[in-house]
Amino acid sequence: MTAFGIRAGLACVAALATAVLGGCRDEEGKGADRVLVVGTEGLYPPWNYTRPDGQLAGFEPDYVRILCARLHRRCRMVAMDWDGMVGALQTGKIDLIADSVQVTPERSQVLGFTRPYAMTTGVFVTLRDHRLAGMADKGAMMDFDRPGPALTAMTGRLKGSLAGKVIGVEISGAFDNFLNQTLGSGASIRYYHTMGERDLDLLNGRIDATLEDEAYMRPLLATRDGAALTMAGPRVIGGAMGGGEALAFRPGDTALRSAFDGAIAATIADGTVRRLGLKWFRMDASPAQAAAERKGAR
Amino acid sequence: MGGAAMNADVTFLADTALAIVRAVPVTLGLFVASAIGASLLGGGLVAALTAGLAPVRGIARGWIFLFRGTPLLLQIFMVYYGLAALGPVRQGPFWPAFRDPLFCAGLAMTCCCSAYIAEVLRGALAAIPAGQIEAALACGMGRVTRLRLIVLPQMLRLALPAYGNELVMMVKSTSLASTITVLDVTGVAQQVIAHSYRTLDVFCLAAGVYLGLTGALTALLRWAERRLDPTVSDGAGEGASR
Amino acid sequence: MSEQDLPAFALLGFGTDGWGRVLVLGAVLTLALSLASMTIGSVLGALLAWARGSRRGWLARLATAYGVIMRGVPELLVVLLLYFGAPGLMAAVAGLFGLPAPGSPPAFLTGSLAIGLVSAAYQAEVFRGGLLAVPKGQVEAALAAGMGPWLRFRRIVLPQVLHHVLPPLGNVWQFNLKDSALVAITGLAELMRVSLVAAGSTRRPFLFFAAAMVLYLALTSLSSAVFRRIEARGSQWAGRR
Repeated sequence: MTAFGIRAGLACVAALATAVLGGCRDEEGKGADRVLVVGTEGLYPPWNYTRPDGQLAGFEPDYVRILCARLHRRCRMVAMDWDGMVGALQTGKIDLIADSVQVTPERSQVLGFTRPYAMTTGVFVTLRDHRLAGMADKGAMMDFDRPGPALTAMTGRLKGSLAGKVIGVEISGAFDNFLNQTLGSGASIRYYHTMGERDLDLLNGRIDATLEDEAYMRPLLATRDGAALTMAGPRVIGGAMGGGEALAFRPGDTALRSAFDGAIAATIADGTVRRLGLKWFRMDASPAQAAAERKGAR
Repeated sequence: MGGAAMNADVTFLADTALAIVRAVPVTLGLFVASAIGASLLGGGLVAALTAGLAPVRGIARGWIFLFRGTPLLLQIFMVYYGLAALGPVRQGPFWPAFRDPLFCAGLAMTCCCSAYIAEVLRGALAAIPAGQIEAALACGMGRVTRLRLIVLPQMLRLALPAYGNELVMMVKSTSLASTITVLDVTGVAQQVIAHSYRTLDVFCLAAGVYLGLTGALTALLRWAERRLDPTVSDGAGEGASR
Repeated sequence: MSEQDLPAFALLGFGTDGWGRVLVLGAVLTLALSLASMTIGSVLGALLAWARGSRRGWLARLATAYGVIMRGVPELLVVLLLYFGAPGLMAAVAGLFGLPAPGSPPAFLTGSLAIGLVSAAYQAEVFRGGLLAVPKGQVEAALAAGMGPWLRFRRIVLPQVLHHVLPPLGNVWQFNLKDSALVAITGLAELMRVSLVAAGSTRRPFLFFAAAMVLYLALTSLSSAVFRRIEARGSQWAGRR
């Protein structure tokens, strides 16, 4: 009876929420005057994060502002958890996602992606005085979209260096999947729920190394605490880690998507993306740069 | 095809159940270690609360106020991340212990639960009739004899129901260790969910394990309570009174 | 990005780089979350206590089973189950009405519901104990004196139940307040979550966890003072009868 009561209560709440969310869709004007609502996580520095005073800041808040100005559209950014973001997009609560979303085949089935505006590698980071700091293939590009004898040999060396080590990663992220597929049971993987917790354990030496987005790690390494850390071994890209970061729309919203697609192409061509990358990541994170490096590694 | 899908389901559930059952020793070990630690420390706190020295009483009172007034989750994070950020801890001789998340979880649980157990024991101590102590004194019993024959046996019986509740709470609290990377029952369940995106069945498996543990402990405590109940003679008249 | 070089008072302060405002807001949200879950727990707990005493056997058994499960499963698991399970449940419900999936419900709702569901199991015990504490003879005497059901409840049952129920309810509230920290795992910016985010992004965990401890101690000791006052007034009322 009580269990039924809870169900019934939840049903009412759910029905109400659905009705409200559905009704909100056209509240803020119609057509091209309508304010576009952009969803982001606000917890992934320096891509997007929430400042102590509550303001959203980072690469994506800056970049969305530039894109919207180019398209003469009014945009408003809202922070929400990644778990609910795709649902919010589908119900029209938000119009697009700017949350460093990696383009993967599974996601492409439910989301309409623009061309990528950034492409970054994963890097291993360890303490400067740790044995792993001298890992093989330092700085070499390991491209999992280009299988071949070179990649197989590098994978073998990577497995050798990480055997018996404790690698910390954020749970259910792209690097978690990658490590599970590549290393198998060779190294032990320790899971963290936020990146901040993982960083603390990396700094105090509870874990041997981590695998993380280079764009996240570069600014960390430039801080006073981060001076104790160093990048080690190869940089990894492609495969399970996706094909770059792009904006995501409802699959049916083709007109809006192609408008943003054009604006992204223009901002990549005129160097805006490169400039923003240097500001927030201390590196050029544009897809062209990554493509050049991947070609060079061949 | 439906059969194949069902087979995959059964295999997944069996694998998950096996992984969760393998984590039971971690949960159980954490519980037993911190239950022993917290009981000893709780007893020490009660002794300190009844001590003659005011500073000793003050420290015991402060300890109980601090650990009962803040969430265990926060205490666990403080021990694991907070203390590890301090140089003396990281460079000190105990770092090998503090480096281990399981040790940190056990330490936080011991400190936290000792405060609750101390309150339980203090209540039981206050419930012993003063006349009995006076009678023991009049009989010429020494401090140790008094404690051994009069105070401790009664405290044990009076405290058992509330103490048992604390122990059941402790079994449940062990799940918080999963927040600092310990792969206990909850930690393993969360890991399986993060990689399979299946929520309900995995959580139900984990919940079943905890229900089994708390149920077994409750049954054990009931048995102990009956054994210690002076109005029930062993075996024969069980359940007659009360 | 140089906020880590700031001294402690600036990090805990109310300036643009200080986390003071966020921490205080987190404490307010913790209080709101605890109040919401306590309310949910009171309503559901009263229903459960009534069901336990019901003459319908299945209803009483259902209420007992609820209590055994909720008091035997870790609170963290209940929070996790609701957090991860709620979007699917809501999608299923929305599907029944032919509506699109509404995504995940607000974290405040799932969080207060999860803690409230646990709280209900403990509050049901408290209410049941309170109801059993009213001697049957008094109710019969009130009946004999010709008191109506409302007057009987107000004059005889309620004062005595309150007298018995307030101290253990204060206990449940304290547990509720501390259990609300578990909602941090859903990302809701209550005190525990805020201190964790601040500790991670400034890499000063000791400072921020200590600050959070002070705020929790303030919340628990202030609310226990409030409860003591209510108890004092409650027993006055019960004494007057």
